[in-house]
Amino acid sequence: MALVEIRDVTKHYHKGGETIKPLDGVTLDIEEGEFLSLMGASGTGKSTLLNMIAGIDTPDFGSISVAGTNIVGLSRTRLANWRATNIGYIFQTHNLIPVLTAYENIELPLLLLPMSRSERRKRVEIALQAVDLLDRADHYPRQLSGGQEQRVGIARAIVAHPKVVVADEPTGDLDPETSKQVLDLLRRLNQELNITLLMVTHDTDAAAVADRQFYLDRGLLKEAVSS
Amino acid sequence: MFKFTNYILKTLWRHRSRTVLTVSGSAVALFVFCFVGAVQEGMNDLQKRQAAKGSLIVFQANKFCPATSHLPQDYDQQLARVPGVREVIPIQVFTNNCRASLDVIVFYGVPPEKLRKARDFELLSGSWSEFEGHQDSAVVGRAVANRRDIQVGDKFSIGDLSVNVAGIYSSDDPAEENYIYSHLDFLQRSKGMNLVGTVTQLEVLLDAGIDPMAKSAEIDEIFKSGSVETDTRPKGVFQAKSLGDLVQLITMAHYLGFACVGLVLSLVATTTVMSVQDRIKEHAVLQTLGFSGPRIFGFVLAESILLSVAGGTIGVAVATIVLHLSSLSVGAEAVTIAFTPSIRLAVVGVVVSLIAGTLAGIAPAIHASRTEIVPALRQS
Repeated sequence: MALVEIRDVTKHYHKGGETIKPLDGVTLDIEEGEFLSLMGASGTGKSTLLNMIAGIDTPDFGSISVAGTNIVGLSRTRLANWRATNIGYIFQTHNLIPVLTAYENIELPLLLLPMSRSERRKRVEIALQAVDLLDRADHYPRQLSGGQEQRVGIARAIVAHPKVVVADEPTGDLDPETSKQVLDLLRRLNQELNITLLMVTHDTDAAAVADRQFYLDRGLLKEAVSS
Repeated sequence: MFKFTNYILKTLWRHRSRTVLTVSGSAVALFVFCFVGAVQEGMNDLQKRQAAKGSLIVFQANKFCPATSHLPQDYDQQLARVPGVREVIPIQVFTNNCRASLDVIVFYGVPPEKLRKARDFELLSGSWSEFEGHQDSAVVGRAVANRRDIQVGDKFSIGDLSVNVAGIYSSDDPAEENYIYSHLDFLQRSKGMNLVGTVTQLEVLLDAGIDPMAKSAEIDEIFKSGSVETDTRPKGVFQAKSLGDLVQLITMAHYLGFACVGLVLSLVATTTVMSVQDRIKEHAVLQTLGFSGPRIFGFVLAESILLSVAGGTIGVAVATIVLHLSSLSVGAEAVTIAFTPSIRLAVVGVVVSLIAGTLAGIAPAIHASRTEIVPALRQS
C-alpha cells in the first residue's frame, strides 16, 4: 500500500460562464521516501493537486488517502489536526511569521504536538542544523536572505517529522545559485532522512532532481519518461 | 494556550503605535468609568451607612440651604425626652457654598463633649484635649486636610470664619472626612453671625429597633405648634434630598460610564479587525501548518482581551491612585459625597474591560478562524 493514494480526483470551477477542469480523474501513488516532482503550465492544477494532498483544498470527486487516512470529507478542525502531524508545507514565498525569529518559526508546528520544551528545543536545533542555519536561530526573517528564509521554511516543514512534505515552487522566488542550494538541500533531506517529497515546479532542471517526474496536461497526470 | 503567549504578545507589539493608542484609549475610558463609578460608590456608601446608623435630622420646615434653617436650640431638650431617642446633637452648619461644588467646605459646630460620642473619629494628628479646651479650635477631616494642605496648628479661614486646627481625623465613613468640626458656641458667635440660641439642625440618635420614619413623623407632630415648624427625616433620606440635583447628575453620569464601555468596545474591535485584515495570509499559513480554526479564534480573542484588559487595568489603577490621593468630593447644601475608590470598583472596572475585550474580539476572531486557506495564500 502506497503512502499517498490518489484515486480519480477531479476538480472543476467556473470562470466567465466556462467550466474549467484542471484535474480530471487524476490517479497517483506515492511510496514512502519517494521524491516526486510535478510540472505543468500555469493554471494546469498542479498546485491544486498539491494542496489537496496537503489537506487545504478538496476535490469535487475522488479520494485521497495519506498513510491510510482518507482525508476527503474530514472536517476543517480534524483536517487541521491531521496536517499538524502528517504534512510539512514549503511555500514559494517562504511565508515565515515576521514577528518570530527563525527558531520560533521552526518551533511553531511543534507547539501543536504534545512535547516538552526541551524536546522541542532539541528538534528545532536538529532542523536548524539540517538546513545549516544554527547560527541564524535568533534572526528575524527581515534579517535573512531569500535563500536563508527558504531554508527556515524547509526546517519548519520537516521539524515535526511529517509523513509527507509538499513544496509549492520552492525555488520560484530564488536566484539560480540559491535555487540550486535549496534543491540540493531537498535532495539531501530526502535521501538522508527518508522524507517523502512532492514538489511542484515550473523549472525542468529543478524537476529533474526528483526520483520521478510528472506533469499535468489538460487535467490529466502523466509521468515524464527519462530520455 | 500558554505555549502561544510569545506569538500573541509579539503580534500585539507588531504595530506598536496602534497597540499603544488602543491601550491608551481603553485606559482613558476606564479611568472615566472609575471616576464616575467612584461618585456612585460614594453615594451608595453614604446612604447605606446612614440607614444603618438609625439617626434622624431635624431641620426647619420648608427650608433648604443650611443658611436658612434656624431652629431653637432648646428643641434638643424636648427631643431628648421623646421615647426611643438616645442622644440629641444640636448642630450649627456653615458652608462656603450652598450649591453643588467640587470643593465645598462645611463647618459643623457641635458641643465638643458630644462629638466623640456621636462620631467614630480617630485622630491622625493633634489632640482631643486641645480641641475641647479651646473654643476657636476645630478638628478637620482627612480629605479636607489633604485637599487644602491643612496641618495641625494651622489657622484655617473661610471668609470671616477662622479656626485653629487642633487635630486631623479619619473616619470609616469617607463622606465624614470632608467636614470640619468646631465648637457650637464658636460658630454661633462668629463674626457676622448672631445665632446664639439657634441651630441649623438637630441630629437625633435613636435606640436600636426604633422605626425612623415613624419617629420622624412623631417629632414633626410635636413641633407642629411650636415657634418653628420642623421637617424630620432619617439622615440618609435628608442627605439624599439635599443632594437632589446632584443625584440626578450622578444618575446621568451613569450613562457616561456606559458610553466609556462602548468606547472601549469600539476601539478594541476596530484595532482587532484591522489586525485580522492585515494578517489574512498569516492566518492561512498557520492553518496550513496545522493550527485549527478554533485555535486561531482563540489567538484573536486573546489579543482583543489583552488589549482591553491592559488598558482597563492601567485606567483603573491610575483612577484608584488619583482618587485616593486627591480626596475629591462633591457636595451641595452642606452634604458631601466622597469619591470612593474601592476594591470592588477596581474589580468591576477590570471585569468590564474583560467583557468589552471579549465582545470586541468575537466577530474578528470568527472571521479569522474561517479564513479560506487557498485564496488567502494567493494574496501577495
